[in-house]
Amino acid sequence: MEIRKIVGKVTPQENKEIQSLFERRNGLNELAKILDANDNELYEKLVKDLGETSTKFQQWWNEKAKKYGWEGHPKGNWEINFQTCEITLVVNE
Amino acid sequence: MLTYLVVLLDDSSVSYCHYENGCKERHLIDLDVLKHGIIWAMKENLNIQFVYPDYQLPEEYRNTIEMVDHTKIGPIACGENLDVIVLDDLLVRSQTDGCYLWRCTLQELIDNKERLVSILSCATRLNVVLTDIIKWKQSEFDSYKDILDDLVDQMVELYQHGKRAQLNLLTDRLLLSSMNNCNAGDTTVVLAPDGKFYVCPAHYPNESVGSLHEGLHIPNRQLYNLDHAPICRHCDAFQCKRCIWLNQQTTTDCNIPSHEQCVVAHLERNASRTMQQRLKEKDIVVENSQVIPEIDCLDPFEKYNRWK
Amino acid sequence: MSDIKLIGREWRAGSCKTITFIVTKDCQLACKYCYLVGKNSKERMTFDIARQAIDYILSHEDNFREESVVWEFIGGEPFLEIDLIDRICDYLKKEMYRRDHRWFNSYRFSFSTNGINYHEEKVQKFIMKNSEHLSIGITIDGTEIKHDLNRIYKGSGKGSYQDVVRNIPLWIKQFPSASTKVTISSEDIPYIQESVLHLYSLGIKEVNINCVFEDVWKNGDDQLFENQLMELADEIIDNEYYKEHACSFFAEFIGKPLNPEIDNSNWCGAGKMLSIDAAGNFYPCTRFAKYSLRDKPAWIVGNVKDGIDNNKLRPFLMLDRTTQSPPECNACEVASGCAWCQGENYDAADTHTIYQRSTAICKMHKARVRANNYYWNKLFRKLELQEYEEQKRKSMNVIC
Repeated sequence: MEIRKIVGKVTPQENKEIQSLFERRNGLNELAKILDANDNELYEKLVKDLGETSTKFQQWWNEKAKKYGWEGHPKGNWEINFQTCEITLVVNE
Repeated sequence: MLTYLVVLLDDSSVSYCHYENGCKERHLIDLDVLKHGIIWAMKENLNIQFVYPDYQLPEEYRNTIEMVDHTKIGPIACGENLDVIVLDDLLVRSQTDGCYLWRCTLQELIDNKERLVSILSCATRLNVVLTDIIKWKQSEFDSYKDILDDLVDQMVELYQHGKRAQLNLLTDRLLLSSMNNCNAGDTTVVLAPDGKFYVCPAHYPNESVGSLHEGLHIPNRQLYNLDHAPICRHCDAFQCKRCIWLNQQTTTDCNIPSHEQCVVAHLERNASRTMQQRLKEKDIVVENSQVIPEIDCLDPFEKYNRWK
Repeated sequence: MSDIKLIGREWRAGSCKTITFIVTKDCQLACKYCYLVGKNSKERMTFDIARQAIDYILSHEDNFREESVVWEFIGGEPFLEIDLIDRICDYLKKEMYRRDHRWFNSYRFSFSTNGINYHEEKVQKFIMKNSEHLSIGITIDGTEIKHDLNRIYKGSGKGSYQDVVRNIPLWIKQFPSASTKVTISSEDIPYIQESVLHLYSLGIKEVNINCVFEDVWKNGDDQLFENQLMELADEIIDNEYYKEHACSFFAEFIGKPLNPEIDNSNWCGAGKMLSIDAAGNFYPCTRFAKYSLRDKPAWIVGNVKDGIDNNKLRPFLMLDRTTQSPPECNACEVASGCAWCQGENYDAADTHTIYQRSTAICKMHKARVRANNYYWNKLFRKLELQEYEEQKRKSMNVIC
């Protein structure tokens, strides 16, 4: 059973930051599916980029969670609604 | 409100504007059509401008034309006492007082600067129509600015010597307080040798807007009016002709000018401003001249573009 | 208003460039209302043309300053060219990344499909590969009767509803917030109410439904249309569909007077978007390509070799509401929400201009306004009464 609860909100600027990271990470993941041996240089760039982007992505969540003190749960994770800037705690019981 | 009727007397009538009349084959307007056209203009209370070919018309035509008050536009070769003399080149045989019109490219203007000034020292007015602005790039704009600056120097010198010649590129803007354009389709319409009406001579023979038989019907006539020109209605390059033929050639829509047309008009406007300032410095008064303000943009579209 | 579902805003609305590849003019269908009068099976885009267009666009960032991009693929039926599309999209992803283009961080691939071959392996493989960047709309026009009135196979004339509806569950599963676009022409009017409700029943929560701009309306159509919308309004409100479903016919902003200076913007994106055909020609919108036009020549604004002729775009970028509109539109007391299509303006105009607004839709808009007013008056009254009852119930529980 999934329980959803709004636990906070970020600023539009913060929303923009995470959305950009989210989009970039998705783009890198999908690009990774199509690169092959012929694209060696591009692939190396992508691998490095994916690592950095994923790190920044996680850092954002860590920083904001600490800043805002959102309610958490051991079996849960936070989601963001890019339209409303709201943070939702999603718990799977 | 319609004010002018331009009558093309022959298929080969000279061009007095940006369009090139490529038709060399003579085809004179029918005398009956001419007479009906004149009567129509009289009933509509219009000023008539007759545009001549490069040969003398038969006597009955000349007599018919003299029946009504009018303006004659044509080349010297037509043998008439012209109101506006359209020049092929600036080698004018008898440099007399009068109103001249010269169609030229930018390079021809640059090459003939001295002769141009020489005409201005005698003539009442010279209209210069640049025929190649569609192709201009930044280097041409720079060259045009330079030649205009040269001409400003020459004009100021003429004024200092008491010669107040009019050069459309520079002096028109000094005296204008509102738009003074070609107004094809708005206040001016053309009667062609085929007896049909056209918004502009360049549209002959393909895009007629009625005839002497059926009457005048200009579709979307409002688009020839300044208030339906979203760029021009905010502009103060009042001397610009707002040539609808050039508009159609470059942007497709008759009420929207091209970037090149806007820049050219603003270079002229700015040169007029320079001339105004130079005349003021020399205490030369130009009656009814309003101060031309400084601007920072040569194309009004750049300011009103909402999409950037 | 939190109880009412509204039509969602388009992705990155206002800061997004839409670039459309007309990959094919072929289609399985011959929809009767289709404005694409010149469909054929011969004109297919080659990868080379697409590549040249992409190289031009990505190397001229100054001409394309928007933060985001939607790469759109249309036809005919775009999924008939899935191999080409797949190759183009792969090239786009690589090139945007290789060039460090800002669009790599903000792009979508968008498709408007008849849905017939949505389930096919190649299409599904493409969807899986690009799932985070896709926007796919399937056109299903409502009930089987309504859909098959117009959306018929070429040749046989058989309706396509069954072949489309079987793919809807898969589509909704993959794109839960997907919406559909429904087109209304004269013959469709009697089926509007049941069609919208039918689409809701299929799980489609947003229905973008609009009348065609072309001059197809008969005397009395506006009254029939108004009646249908009133019935639909009653159904939506009485059965509370408004909580989780939205229909574009009903919007609060519709039917108000507009200030000629403040409310003068051009809502239509023609000129702001870019469309590319198989020959590599650029258009301000697909509607200006030859195959979309009845009477006028194509309005080409450039090509892959020479680039964009910005002069040809100036009329579009300067178009506003009042300059194109006749006096009665500018004085109209219910003007807001009355749309226009610059392509239809051009196609229907007496001269070669986009500045003559086509007003064929006028009576239909006014009918919509009346039904829309009824909808919001009824809905707000219902919500007001509900709120009142709730407050009353709460106050009765207070012990003094």
